Amino acid sequence: MRLQDLKKADASWKDKAVHARYRVESIGSLARLLRHGPGKMAEIFRWDWLRTLAGASNLLDMAVYTRTGRYREASAYALAEVIGGIGDLIDSICAAPDRVVIHEDLVPSEIFRGMGLAPFMAEVIGIAVPLVKADWAEKYIDIAENEGTPPDTCSLPKCTMGVALDGQFPKSAAIVTSNMPCDGGMASYTILERELKSPCFRLDIPYNFYNDRAIDYFVSELKRMIAWLEEHTPGRMDWDRLKEVCIERNKAMEHELEIWELIRQKPAPMAGEAIWLAQLIHMVATPGSPRATRTMKNILKRTKKIMENGGGALPEERYRAVLWNPPTLVFPELFVWAEQQYGVALLADMLTYHRHPFIDVSSPDSMLRSLAQIIVEGPMARHTRGPAENFFDDLFYLYEYFSLDMIWMAGHIGCKNTMALNGMFRERCREREIPLFIMNYDLSDTRVVSPVDMKKQAEAFMETVMKAEPLL
Amino acid sequence: MNQAVIPDFFRQILDQPVNNLVDQAQEQGKKAIAYTCSYVPQPLLSLDGVFPIRVRAPGVVGTPMADTYLSSVICSYTRSVLELALEWAFDSLDGWVFAASCDHLRRLYDNLDYLNKPAFNHMIDMPHRGGAAAEKWLTEEYKSLGAALAESFGVDASPQALSRSIKEHNAYLSVMREISKMRKQDNPPVTGAMFQTLLAASTSAPKDMVMDELKALLARLRESNEGKPYRARVLLAGSHCDDPGYIDVIEKTGGLVVAERTCTGSIPALAPIPENDAPYETLAGQALANISCPRMMESFQARVDEILEAVEEYRADGVVLQTMKFCDTWGVESGPMVQELRKAGVPILKLEREYTMSSEGQLQTRIQAFLESMGK
Ligand code: SF4
Ligand code: SF4
Repeated sequence: MRLQDLKKADASWKDKAVHARYRVESIGSLARLLRHGPGKMAEIFRWDWLRTLAGASNLLDMAVYTRTGRYREASAYALAEVIGGIGDLIDSICAAPDRVVIHEDLVPSEIFRGMGLAPFMAEVIGIAVPLVKADWAEKYIDIAENEGTPPDTCSLPKCTMGVALDGQFPKSAAIVTSNMPCDGGMASYTILERELKSPCFRLDIPYNFYNDRAIDYFVSELKRMIAWLEEHTPGRMDWDRLKEVCIERNKAMEHELEIWELIRQKPAPMAGEAIWLAQLIHMVATPGSPRATRTMKNILKRTKKIMENGGGALPEERYRAVLWNPPTLVFPELFVWAEQQYGVALLADMLTYHRHPFIDVSSPDSMLRSLAQIIVEGPMARHTRGPAENFFDDLFYLYEYFSLDMIWMAGHIGCKNTMALNGMFRERCREREIPLFIMNYDLSDTRVVSPVDMKKQAEAFMETVMKAEPLL
Repeated sequence: MNQAVIPDFFRQILDQPVNNLVDQAQEQGKKAIAYTCSYVPQPLLSLDGVFPIRVRAPGVVGTPMADTYLSSVICSYTRSVLELALEWAFDSLDGWVFAASCDHLRRLYDNLDYLNKPAFNHMIDMPHRGGAAAEKWLTEEYKSLGAALAESFGVDASPQALSRSIKEHNAYLSVMREISKMRKQDNPPVTGAMFQTLLAASTSAPKDMVMDELKALLARLRESNEGKPYRARVLLAGSHCDDPGYIDVIEKTGGLVVAERTCTGSIPALAPIPENDAPYETLAGQALANISCPRMMESFQARVDEILEAVEEYRADGVVLQTMKFCDTWGVESGPMVQELRKAGVPILKLEREYTMSSEGQLQTRIQAFLESMGK
């Protein structure tokens, strides 16, 4: 299921202009790569993933197609900035090819920027490209499996490994990874290190992290990493530059917290991709960038505008939901559809909801300490590491905080350690009388569960458990 | 002809999840502590007053209840253990100690705690790399386990007491090492299945209750002069494999298993532990350096080298790399591992398996073809 199955909104000329404006902006943010010259373009456009991403305005279409008015504008803006953020990443690796650090999603890339390096999150390919083309990852999943990776391993690291095995990663000065978020993700770096032929540094993060001892340990890991990077790359730590990055991150964080506070209201003045996808790219893949701050600030501004005009983001908010576990990359339309069909407002997802503290920028040590805390308590890491309570407590907290009506659990088949929590979680939800929808799917492989089947599962839940009447 | 056999004494230990010797020791006032991973140090669970039981799940036929909680995409060792726990098979045990070693064992800990909460349930926070900071961290973890055992069971967990326990454990290891050494001979008096029976039995029962039998067996093995004929010498590598039956199938087909580089096998489990006055530190250092599990992030090459050295030392003709289905650490690593061993000229067969052996015929066929491919 893609756009054709969604109902097109009755767009006014203003709505159409919004679409056109952000489409042009999206194309522009990728077109600016041309400044690196034809040689570089020929080099990077060999990568199938980049060619596919060039069609990212599809994603924008999804956000605007079904929406009107201010919510359409806000969603389109957020999506254009997401595309822009990915453009920034590619732009920076083109601009400083000798400074590229390929890194795993749960390491503090702010430090790389503080060192004048060009971070490139390896998993961003496997996350972003299936959003544009649902079945894109399948070829790379097959490549990894043909090299001996088991079919049951999570398709996200498998896709990342496949892309590496296919020679589609930029050259890098170093790789930095960690033992997070899970065994499959951690193990995938054995393959990445071999294929990318770069020296690799691995951060070790304790299992139990809500204590000073764990933070001390991880801070010492970060110091070891900085020394290692200074030895293996041209990067040098500039604490003032790191401070700027951290201040920038704090600003974005402030805006984000305000957005969360505002969307507690019923009906919520913002929802959908402007919340989850914007956070995923700006706070996980490119934290501390001026674009991240700008995006959060502007989403906040638009949230306030919608509030001032009365009413919520959705024309009719009937239900409020959170999506837990990794988002449905092969079916990003899920919530656009649920909005239209049943009036479901998606207010948060697992990756959005972080307890990131503000970074204390008073000294190098205080910055490292805050960054350590951000990582150990980061989204996903906090749920895949540590005891089961970490996972449950967050969800029950969110349920109350956002006055939710139900929890949508993306039951990604490859995410074994979260799958092993569902039995307990189901019973705990039953005790609390919280409607829980566990959807079977695979993060990046439509051959396991197709988007049509995902939609059918959601329909069955909404109509039998929630007794929802379709709006359309 | 003088061919040694393994006494029924050891076989019977393996028939039950919790055997009679455990009951007997408990009747004498000792506490039985279950563990599931090699990173839980046996000497620490062997302090005076407690003893370790490496949990096995014999006789499990299906895991319907465990699947409801752990899902069916989790390794079948953990599902089998939970299934038996839900059938109250382990209720007589006095406590459990886990290591946060892999996603599956961590979730077994969580689900066990929720569904059939043990009176004592401890988690060791295991680092994923070696080095001084990790050693310090793990030393503190082992010390806090010692303190928890002291508090719950009244044991003496002082360094002196732990040193005594290490000494006793070394005595056990030295008998097992003697037997293991015989496997290097041209015609070993002990097969892989026999050896696995001894190892599994002696980690499933109080050591002091098996030591006499082990020593007697060692003496008989020294006198035996005839082993089983075989076509090829095989090194078994990979994850948890506590079932002698699995090795038996390989051996029925003509491959003699001369060593196991697995979490439940001879390498590196039998390495002696240095005896000194810093036993906690020593256990931590040894666990990080020796137990070469793929959950350790930085040591892929060390694991390859360890297998290559063992191939040489035991004069193995080939390697059978068996990984438990759904185990991500072994599963992902096995691809490059196969490539590295092939590059070094070592014939290798990679097999995926479930905890409980299901398709013996298929395994035999694969082994048969492997031996033939080596010209044996
Ligand atoms: S989705 Fe789950 S299994 Fe996949 S990388 Fe994330 S934590 Fe690991
Ligand atoms: S594979 Fe590793 S984590 Fe699993 S039981 Fe063996 S040593 Fe422990």
